[in-house]
Amino acid sequence: MSRAWDRTGTWIGWAFFSDLSNALALTLGYMFSRTVTMQYPDKEKWLPYSRYRGHHFLKRDEEGEIKCVACELCARICPCDCIEVVPYEDEKGNRRPAKFEIDTARCLFCGLCEDACPADAIALGQQYEFSSFSSRDLVIGRDDLLAKPGKAATGGGVVAARLDTKKNVLVESSEPQGYNWWRNIRRT
Amino acid sequence: MELIVALGLIVFKVALLIVMLLLLPLPLTWLERKIAGHMQQRMGPMRVGWHGLLQPVADGIKLLTKEDHIPAEADRFLFKLAPILALAPPFVVFVAIPFGETVSVLGNEISLYVSNMNVALLFVFAVIGLEVYGVIFGGWAANSKYAVLGSLRTCAQMISYEIPMGFAVIGVVMLAQSMSLLDIVRAQADVWNIVYQPVGFFVFFVAGLAEAQRIPFDLAEAEGDLGAGFHTEYSGIRFAFFMVSEYVIMLLVSVLSVILFFGGWNGVLIPLPPLLWFVLKVAFFVYVFMWFRFTFPRYRYDQLMAIGWKVLLPLSMANIIITGIVFS
Repeated sequence: MSRAWDRTGTWIGWAFFSDLSNALALTLGYMFSRTVTMQYPDKEKWLPYSRYRGHHFLKRDEEGEIKCVACELCARICPCDCIEVVPYEDEKGNRRPAKFEIDTARCLFCGLCEDACPADAIALGQQYEFSSFSSRDLVIGRDDLLAKPGKAATGGGVVAARLDTKKNVLVESSEPQGYNWWRNIRRT
Repeated sequence: MELIVALGLIVFKVALLIVMLLLLPLPLTWLERKIAGHMQQRMGPMRVGWHGLLQPVADGIKLLTKEDHIPAEADRFLFKLAPILALAPPFVVFVAIPFGETVSVLGNEISLYVSNMNVALLFVFAVIGLEVYGVIFGGWAANSKYAVLGSLRTCAQMISYEIPMGFAVIGVVMLAQSMSLLDIVRAQADVWNIVYQPVGFFVFFVAGLAEAQRIPFDLAEAEGDLGAGFHTEYSGIRFAFFMVSEYVIMLLVSVLSVILFFGGWNGVLIPLPPLLWFVLKVAFFVYVFMWFRFTFPRYRYDQLMAIGWKVLLPLSMANIIITGIVFS
């Protein structure tokens, strides 16, 4: 009885285009809902979470000395063999890297170097804009790695930004957090 | 003197009409991309001008500077002729279309139509039927399998949907006792035809969707399965001709829907200038076209033919008979 009734109802619905009008109502609803577009790089930029694995950076200790002890564990564990470390002995008799090069063109950003490091000297930071026209430029040396930005303090937000074709996408926001992009996602 | 003034006025009106119709696809493409974007939670064009308003201009410049490519195996004469054949009829049709009664400019009453034909409706359907030649020639001359398939589909589709479309408006003609579009609108001064002819409007609009080759009946160009149908091999300004023709036809079907079924420039409740009423109604129908495009999937080819011959044709004939019985 009820199944037959349901089927009749379905047919009556089809006769009055209920399926088509449902579809039209849905698209109209979406039309007036918020867009999910992040206007990168024109107006906005995504700040990564603190756990984000971006470009590597080398840390300094309290005296401003490089933390790395050039044990080459990172070079050993690296699955794509893209780290090259050459140690030397400095004035104080400590073992330090004379040469520390990461070929980011080959790196797969697994973060194993960060896990392996016994001196907590290398980590993967927040920078993700480092494309280049030449793969030679993607081999980053020790001093460049020391200057790279560290892990994001806050993050996971969209902030106002501006595109500077000479330099980069510049963040133009006093508010460090930005808005949570996920609020734009319509879940119905 | 009198004759020269009248002639000059007609030339001026025609020139104005052509310029307007050539320029209208610019905002319409922008609107279409914006609506598409927002329905898919995107923003659409944003980078050229304020909210991408100058995007159509940039697209136009791009199309003008592209290589005008003609395939080696193509029939060169027909290949060049086809875009013009596709472009001309939709423009010609607008000669017969009234946009309002009269406006007074500097104390002179100027009519808002180029000509008031007594067989305007017949003229419209006759001329719009010619558009199919451009499509067939374009597909055939390109000598490409996608283009031929597309043009074959268009040919069959256009011919089968002209018939229910023609039958659907007969009810309107019976109500107005005239084929002049001006008289048809005047007859709707009190009650719009949509009240008496809902079935007629339904058939007309669905057939209009097919005529304009819009989703859900855009099998002729079906990007997904045919490349682009009959204009696969076209590039540059010839491609732009086809696009302009498509937008003008969409506009034409909207205008015809308004004139035939939604009271033309007759307003309801809110007293607005008649021309503004007309433009608002047409804009609504243009929006509906775009709304449909980004809501519905494409019909299969046999479904398209079945809808045309098995549903729309009997419906439109029943509409004629019932209209005849009720209003005679």
